[in-house]
Amino acid sequence: MDRYLEPHQARRHEPTQYESLLGDAIERAYAAGTHDLAGLVAYLNRTGPGPQDGEVWTEEIYKAQIAKLAEE
Amino acid sequence: MTTQQPILTADAILERGLKNLWYPICPSHMVGREPVSLRRLGKKLVFWRDHDNQVHALDDHCPHRGAPLSKGIVMGDRIACGYHGVQVRCDGTVTRVPGSPGCKLEGSRPTQAYHIVERNDAIWLYNATGNIDTPPPLVLPDELDADGEFSSFLCYTEWKGDYRYVLDNVMDPMHGTYLHKQSHSMAEGDNTAAFRIRDTDRGFIFEKEGQRDVNFDWTEWADTGTHWMRLEIPYPKTGGPGGNFVIVGSYTPISPTLAAVFHWRCRKLDGWQRDTWRFLYRNRLEARHWAVLEQDRVMLEDMEADANQNEHLYQHDMGIVRLRRHLKNLAKAELERMQQGKA
Ligand code: FES
Ligand SMILES: [Fe+2]
Repeated sequence: MDRYLEPHQARRHEPTQYESLLGDAIERAYAAGTHDLAGLVAYLNRTGPGPQDGEVWTEEIYKAQIAKLAEE
Repeated sequence: MTTQQPILTADAILERGLKNLWYPICPSHMVGREPVSLRRLGKKLVFWRDHDNQVHALDDHCPHRGAPLSKGIVMGDRIACGYHGVQVRCDGTVTRVPGSPGCKLEGSRPTQAYHIVERNDAIWLYNATGNIDTPPPLVLPDELDADGEFSSFLCYTEWKGDYRYVLDNVMDPMHGTYLHKQSHSMAEGDNTAAFRIRDTDRGFIFEKEGQRDVNFDWTEWADTGTHWMRLEIPYPKTGGPGGNFVIVGSYTPISPTLAAVFHWRCRKLDGWQRDTWRFLYRNRLEARHWAVLEQDRVMLEDMEADANQNEHLYQHDMGIVRLRRHLKNLAKAELERMQQGKA
């Protein structure tokens, strides 16, 4: 390449299947107009995927997990 | 003996970039402990990091006989030329001439050094006309304030062509309605619009009349010690909370046929909303934004170098006209200062 053209500059690894499923679910919730945390958590518990730590999503679990995923 | 002075024009000044401004040079990760040579702003420059991670920059030209300093060896805040070992410090001073100790090159300051700061994942250089002790501060818009309310990611690309075509493109909100019609975020808005220019205390805003937060509706141009542009694009509902997507752009000439293109993509968010956006950006949004930016690149790279010599501009283009005139005036002022010998 005679010039810098790198489409992925932000991510540090290829997206995992789990991350992409979670991304799909969050976008679907957002598209439905669910923009609050309680609503998002309830949506994820209805449609999955579940949390990687714990059995069901809670607001605390979501905050902790998404903070980690945001910087991974 | 007289030396032939090259004839400098305002256009030639703009082509290589105005002096006495901060410019983004490259993403931070492009400079490490080993010296790297980069062409920017009509010059060849060498960059390296010392042990405190501070980045240094000098003209990539050894004061002895002009070998590239970037082929030399880094010794902390100095670089030893690979050709005959002359050592040049990060402030441009020659500290040692090993082949001829005590010669008058030692202790002189023949090389231009540049002040560097790192902000928002980029290396910024102050393009002074000579060696200066203290540069003016680099002031960036609120969206790039590290402790501010915005979260941002840098997208860096290099596009073929003069960087002024990139400026024109960003000062042209109407292209969003056409070029980006198919994009995930720019399908809204009237495909005709009247524009106006509004002055600000740091530049001006070129905006559609009676249309805000619909599509790509306005562009701000500003000078705060560096030239930057800013625009907002409303996100679709899938973008979640946090309001519009803000883009801050700054553009640096690499050569007359290559431009360094910096876009910071920003959103005003905190807490879980911020983390969710950063997650989605890494997982999928970056790829979508990239596809939109590629539409711009392909169009601009296919324009002839002299396309701007054969134009028929209309009302949508008055932002471009204003920006070009403004830059031309800055270049003329620089030319005058040079002719008076006080650049
Ligand atoms: S050219 Fe660099 S030391 Fe001679
Ligand atoms: Fe565009």
